[in-house]
Amino acid sequence: MSTKPDVTRKCLQPAYLVGLFITGILSLDCNVLNIHLSRVTWQNMRLLSGMSNSFPIECLRENKAFELPHEILSHIQPVKRDIKKAFYEISIQAFNIFSQYTFKSTWEEKHLKQIQIGLDKQLQYLEQCLEEEEKEDEDMKETEEDGTKHSGTTVPRLSHLELRRYFNRIYNFLKEKKYSHCAWEIVRVEIRRCFYLFLKSIVLLRRK
Amino acid sequence: MLALLGAMALVLVAGAPWVLPAAAGGTNLESPRDVEVYIVDDSFILKWNRGSESLSNVTFSVDYQIPEMDDWTELPGCQYITSTQCDFSSLQLNVYDELKLRIRAEKGNNTSPWYEVDSFIPFHKAQIGPPEVHLEAEDKAIIINISPPGTKDGVMWAMDSSSFIYNLVIWKNSSPAEERTETVYPTDKIYKLSPETTYCLKVKARLRMQRKVGLYSPVYCINTTVENKLPPPENIQIDGNNQNYILKWDYKYENLTFQAQWLHAYLKKIPGKHADKWKQIPDCENVKTTQCVFPQSVFSRGIYFIRVQASNGNSTSLWSEEKKFDTEIQTIILPPVINLKPVNDSLRVYIGAPKESENKSVDEDYPLIYEIIFWENTSNIQNKIVEKKTDFTFRNLKPLTVYCVRARALIHYEKWNKSSGFSDTVCEKTKPGNTSKTLLIIAVICAVLLSIPVVVYVVKVVLRCVKYVFFPSSKPPSAVDECFSEHLLKNLLLSTSAEQIERCFIIENTNAIAAVEETNDVDEDYKKYNSQTSQDSGNYSNEEDNSGSGISEELLLQETL
Repeated sequence: MSTKPDVTRKCLQPAYLVGLFITGILSLDCNVLNIHLSRVTWQNMRLLSGMSNSFPIECLRENKAFELPHEILSHIQPVKRDIKKAFYEISIQAFNIFSQYTFKSTWEEKHLKQIQIGLDKQLQYLEQCLEEEEKEDEDMKETEEDGTKHSGTTVPRLSHLELRRYFNRIYNFLKEKKYSHCAWEIVRVEIRRCFYLFLKSIVLLRRK
Repeated sequence: MLALLGAMALVLVAGAPWVLPAAAGGTNLESPRDVEVYIVDDSFILKWNRGSESLSNVTFSVDYQIPEMDDWTELPGCQYITSTQCDFSSLQLNVYDELKLRIRAEKGNNTSPWYEVDSFIPFHKAQIGPPEVHLEAEDKAIIINISPPGTKDGVMWAMDSSSFIYNLVIWKNSSPAEERTETVYPTDKIYKLSPETTYCLKVKARLRMQRKVGLYSPVYCINTTVENKLPPPENIQIDGNNQNYILKWDYKYENLTFQAQWLHAYLKKIPGKHADKWKQIPDCENVKTTQCVFPQSVFSRGIYFIRVQASNGNSTSLWSEEKKFDTEIQTIILPPVINLKPVNDSLRVYIGAPKESENKSVDEDYPLIYEIIFWENTSNIQNKIVEKKTDFTFRNLKPLTVYCVRARALIHYEKWNKSSGFSDTVCEKTKPGNTSKTLLIIAVICAVLLSIPVVVYVVKVVLRCVKYVFFPSSKPPSAVDECFSEHLLKNLLLSTSAEQIERCFIIENTNAIAAVEETNDVDEDYKKYNSQTSQDSGNYSNEEDNSGSGISEELLLQETL
């Protein structure tokens, strides 16, 4: 009697292996947001940390809550593609912020360049994935067009709007503070925080 | 009473048509119809149709409300408008906040009811306008420079200056049907054109995330120049070896000098001219060959563009096509280093980074996976496995067998695959293994168990020998016994009685001691009896003596009590 489960277990073992192998392949693909992106992002976070030695104390009183929309993280969680899109938005906004030529002498040229290169890389990776998905989307659109038209796009649109509002606050803050040293320092820490929270939520999602 | 009520109702019914317009302003002014908001880039326009065509001198006014406002406010630029549209671009709005608009018609003191437009978020409504394009012609290429849509200090696309993707359509003026489409950077070059030809093109901007597709720019036309005498270098390739990059290109003629330059790829995303940001590659200046070698350290990790130019002293060629170059892709992965350690019936494999790898190793950014070839030294059957971990174990191997391993590192990243060469082969003999050890333990246990009776037997024999030698059990001859027995016994008795007295002291009872002393003669008698029965030769053992004395003690006690 006891041999039966043993036999089935033995039969299942190759199946487990196949399963492992398949997830292994998928994780190398664009479809799954994983180590690739987090690696580059972690690297960029390190760069952001390394841009100045420490956060200047005199800037603390100017600090502002930019209200990173936590709810967007819960909004986008069900769909991985939405995460990627949101992440793309975050990355491109970060890139835009750090490629404005209003820095003057806030940071060393070297560090600035490094973060621009790093964010560009982060974007290039995401772009490649999104381009592939866009093609898929176009195919889907053709089939979708007859029936429900905008039903699918409303949720990500809302969360993207929240994200844009968030970055708009950052832009406005920089403008109000006339791109001062402290303003840039605060923004640098904020973007680092944003990346961090985002990566954390991705990790949480992966665990689900 | 009833009549009064009826009269009142009559008055009300009669008055109603007069009362309503009065509340709305007095006359029959109708609210505007078909009100629409048009937003292109930073220009905000409201359009509507007149409610009633017949009336003249009617003006229109618009109010607006945003979330932080409790009340309606007059919309600047849209007060007392005589036409059917107004421009409210001057209003400094947060384009991500909801905006409410209402409009009414006015004539003198009369106003129409408000017509409320559905609230909207300007950013969602906004359309991407046409980008501005600057062109510069070469013989076989057009240099394009695109300014993003919107005004420079505009609010709408303030956060998107580098996010726009530009789609370009280009055609020969002579054959408009043959269109070519391309996705270009804000500063880019369109290649593979014919010299002395008129080309026309238009560009539109696109925002990927918002799925917004912009309006096409006007059509721009430009003539390509006369073909340059010196063609630009072609087929630019870049390869890497351990420490260097090798830049190669093709060129038709000989005896020319070349120079190569590089640019950070990210700059192309940022609108504006970057022509002055190209930098010389140190070892690729005035080279006479169609290749140059420069250390990898010239480029930190990232994505670059590279271009090459030819020169014959008097004139120079135009720049070659710009080659995109990703250090990650070019980086050579060095073969890993393998260490084997036999553990029980397994071989533990440690894969290490190559020793000579520089600080900029690839695996920092990209996960390396390892392809491991594994075989028994004596057989030709090779097993191949792919592992992500750098530390793993081959299990269930034959004990005391030599196994060999070699490995290489692979990268599967995005659209490119890359692999290192194979490492050196490392062989290692497995240990005796788990199974033999357990067998050994079982054998030892069996041996121990089996040997117990043997040992017991041996011990017994030895003891017997010892007993035989030191405590012979044979009786002395009877003659000896007769001669010595009494005398010896007397001595023995003396000594034993003395002992007994001593022993009696142990019983801490003075009465008992006294009794023992009193009954000494009785004791003597008993001893006599004892000696008669004893077979002892005189060399008594302690044991016997003890037991004897024990008995005598008991007897003594029994007697005394």
